Amino acid sequence: MNGQGGTAVRMTGVRLRQPHFQLGPIHLEVPAGFVTAIVGPNGSGKSTTFRLMLDLTKPDEGGIEVLGRTIGNGKSIELLNRVGYLPEEPYRHDNVIRGMDKAEFYKHWYSDWDVNHYRELLRLFEVDHSLRLGKMSKGMRRKFDLALTLSHHPDLLLLDEPSSGLDPLAWRTMIELLHRYMESGDRTILIASHVVEEVKRLADFIVFMVNGKVLGMYEKDELLTGWHQFYFPGGYEKWRAVLSEMPGLAGLEDAGGVVRVVTSSAREADAWIAARELVPAGRKSMELDDILAVLVEREKRQRQYGMKGVVQ
Amino acid sequence: MSIQLNEYSAEPLYHQIEVQLRALIVSGQLSEGTLLPSIREMAQHLKCSVITIRRVYQDLEAEGLLVTRQGTGTFVAKVNPEERRRHRLDAVTTAMREAVAAGLRVQCSDDELRELFETVLHEARANRSPPGEEGYGDSGKEDEG
Repeated sequence: MNGQGGTAVRMTGVRLRQPHFQLGPIHLEVPAGFVTAIVGPNGSGKSTTFRLMLDLTKPDEGGIEVLGRTIGNGKSIELLNRVGYLPEEPYRHDNVIRGMDKAEFYKHWYSDWDVNHYRELLRLFEVDHSLRLGKMSKGMRRKFDLALTLSHHPDLLLLDEPSSGLDPLAWRTMIELLHRYMESGDRTILIASHVVEEVKRLADFIVFMVNGKVLGMYEKDELLTGWHQFYFPGGYEKWRAVLSEMPGLAGLEDAGGVVRVVTSSAREADAWIAARELVPAGRKSMELDDILAVLVEREKRQRQYGMKGVVQ
Repeated sequence: MSIQLNEYSAEPLYHQIEVQLRALIVSGQLSEGTLLPSIREMAQHLKCSVITIRRVYQDLEAEGLLVTRQGTGTFVAKVNPEERRRHRLDAVTTAMREAVAAGLRVQCSDDELRELFETVLHEARANRSPPGEEGYGDSGKEDEG
């Protein structure tokens, strides 16, 4: 596990201003040897972040390091050889060429291209690479692109919504392959995904990104066992003062006759509730999308009122 | 290897796994020298992160229940009988403490707790349910009428 402990990607104070979108300032450290998932609503800057890491878009400010090399000092073939990038949308301009022709091109481009691995991936995914790329179904095109991305044994995989268009079986094959890819222990995956189950199955760390900002990075298991919601019977006014003291308070709202309170420290909240002899009407652990919704809401309030934004 | 996780519990996953893996080793269900899955495999199998599994392996290694040999993997260590007895009771004591705490939270009297213990024990003997198959952490959730 000698790859673990380092940083695969480091972004420091990265800003990008576009006419309709502002990204940053982004501070992000993607740990080497792990799977980190970027989770966030559409338009939160996930794809742009990937493009910045690959020098496909230039930041206005800040520094980016990928696998120990500073980005932006001209193209580095050596670095690109160590990275596998799967963009969100397939490149349209190569629709007319056949899969095998594109693979031929990759073979020349990547010094570590492994034709046996490529063949094996095609077989696993049941892809016919004699088809023209534009003639492939959406799912097959995705599988083909995934195979290309993995065939030069990159140290770092940047996957932008990799499963879009995949059927459930192909999805399972992909999850299996990515686990196998990580088995050696010194490789890194950074994945942007909307699919809750995918993030749960793959990720070690989760980065929440909303509105061009990184809201935080969490260890997945800690996050999912830490965030719980409780329901208390009665009106909001009755509970507001008491419940705003709850440890790890992340949200407190009137849910029509009951008050819903969200905590990010479930165990401390349990003890706190027991000590006060409060009796919740119910409790639930939270899924990633529930947690994201709370964070998005909180971020919105912080922007509006500039305060902690937890209590209404 | 049967490890069951309750993902709806506030109990940290590493703790849930640790308790169950320790029980499997101490009870001898995993014998000395058994090769455990790699950290990544185990994480995939239990659908949790490698950070959690690494922590479990490290903790159990520190307790002397596992040994990691560089380059080969993590194995079940030799547990001497004395240690086995202590560990064996440790796990039970911890579970009992949790059960009692759950009872006290809903204001059970001592007699009620004793009675519950007897009832549950009788049930278990009658069904002869295999050890370790009871749902994790269910004991405290019953409401007193």
